[in-house]
Amino acid sequence: MKYLTIDTTTKVTAVALAEDGHLVGEGFLHTTKTHSERLIPMLDQLLTATAWTLQDLDMIGVVRGPGSFTGIRIGIATAQGLGQVLNLPLIAVVSLDALAWAGLGRTEDIVPILDARKNEWYTARYHWTPGAEKAECLTVPQAVPTHQWLEQLKQLDRPICFVGDAVAKSKEQIEAALGERAVILPEYVSLPRGAYTARAVWQRWSETGVGDRVEPYYIRFSEAEVNWAKKEELLRRAEHE
Amino acid sequence: MGGIGIGSVCDVTGSQKKRVVILGIETSCDETSAAVLVNGTDLQSHIISSQIVTHQRYGGVVPEIASREHSLHLQMVVQQALDDARLGFSDLSAIAVTYGPGLVGSLLVGVSGAKAMAYAAGIPLLGINHLEGHIYANFLHHQDLKFPLLALLVSGGHTHLILFEAHGRYQVLGHTRDDAAGEALDKVARTLGLGYPGGPQIQRVAQEGDASAFKFPRAMLESDSLDFSFSGMKSAVLNTLNSARMRGETLSVSDIAASFQQAVVDVLVQKTLRAIERTGVKTLLLAGGVAANSLLRETLEKTMFERSVRLVYPPPIFCTDNGAMIATAGYYHFLAADFAAWTLNAVPGLGLV
Ligand SMILES: [Zn+2]
Repeated sequence: MKYLTIDTTTKVTAVALAEDGHLVGEGFLHTTKTHSERLIPMLDQLLTATAWTLQDLDMIGVVRGPGSFTGIRIGIATAQGLGQVLNLPLIAVVSLDALAWAGLGRTEDIVPILDARKNEWYTARYHWTPGAEKAECLTVPQAVPTHQWLEQLKQLDRPICFVGDAVAKSKEQIEAALGERAVILPEYVSLPRGAYTARAVWQRWSETGVGDRVEPYYIRFSEAEVNWAKKEELLRRAEHE
Repeated sequence: MGGIGIGSVCDVTGSQKKRVVILGIETSCDETSAAVLVNGTDLQSHIISSQIVTHQRYGGVVPEIASREHSLHLQMVVQQALDDARLGFSDLSAIAVTYGPGLVGSLLVGVSGAKAMAYAAGIPLLGINHLEGHIYANFLHHQDLKFPLLALLVSGGHTHLILFEAHGRYQVLGHTRDDAAGEALDKVARTLGLGYPGGPQIQRVAQEGDASAFKFPRAMLESDSLDFSFSGMKSAVLNTLNSARMRGETLSVSDIAASFQQAVVDVLVQKTLRAIERTGVKTLLLAGGVAANSLLRETLEKTMFERSVRLVYPPPIFCTDNGAMIATAGYYHFLAADFAAWTLNAVPGLGLV
């Protein structure tokens, strides 16, 4: 079964063509150009390079977040647009789940951290058991202040392997908090890659066997919604007093 | 990887297509809309999914929420447009999409979706300027329009006087230096507690008001300029309200609405007349959300009739943002073989020329 995967949830545009879980072609761009400018040209070039056509595809995988709000929507709109025309099922995976594949075979807990701005990360915690089909999720995805998350991880008293786009920028902060228990993988391994998405998508497809109704996974509400909820809450309290 | 040409998928001249079928997609602000248009005038379907109710609680469009809504609805809206037209992607000649101006996050949903659809369907992509779309809404029902044309484009985001010399050839004669006309109406409506969107609310309460009750300034700027300025007029309303409040007086909301609406319309009409006189153009196109305002329409009808200038405006549903106007503009881009590259990006501040 041949499929395409798209990940635009960080500054990296990651596209992959794969067959039955095996990577066939991969595009990785970490430049200043936008996803919107890169995505379809990259796909076009990858199809040419692999001598595949869109008609060869049986499925499309997409990363639905968390990550950049705009990036999430570009990836989903593209996957949906392709899927709608080609009449293909879509498989949606979580960015952090996909990144857990960067730590396949490691014994430490795998902690992907994605830049969520405002001194927060989108993060989760995974562990690979030898021979397992997928990483076990030990802490579910969340948006959390960086220092608070590092404090929580410190309490665990076990080695932790960090991956994700926030790693390079936060190396010192992580090492200051966790010392020798922190393992930091190089960027070329720890940034989102089509190869990881291709594995995560195949894993999900093997499990479910049907397409997903794809919806963005933001974790966070928009600021306007948060402020509105706060205002409503204040009004409610004022009424009760 | 670098840029990649798009020649491979654009086989337009090769196959002699009799019918030109354009799917138009619009997501620049708070409407997710798609339409299927055959040969420039035959509108087969038109779907508009409005977010007005979602944004009402915030008193205006919240960009992030607008983008989220587009993302949830685009696929369904496009499918509905195709289903209503009883057509599939393989029947389309091209896909037209708004790429600016507008809210960047909202534009990107439409651009990404349209690009993927066109690429997968093996048909050309047409990048449409939203302002151009508004003007082209007039061509949907009026094929006989003769160039040169003058267009008055008034909406929540824009106030432009445009000389339209030929398909795709524009000259901006004047534009607003601060608030757009629709924006000023929205702000005054909010201050009067009339809610969002403000234009239709002002028009509604103004019907019971006296337009001569308050003398708000008509900002005409320098005598020879065709530019607009609505921010001073808006401030005058706010000052009137504030000083009344200080004196403990209550003013009639409908009188204020009627007087302000009259002031805005007076300025729009005066500037348009000046542009007509200067260019000698014989046809005026009215476009944009504020073009649905009945006082503006009626005043222009009368003024243009007196000067033997033909006035054309779209039905209200084609004045506010919609996919049909994008498909119509797309039709003319298609005829000119003016196709977009796969690198097409959203341009939130896109100008007309
Ligand atoms: Zn508009």
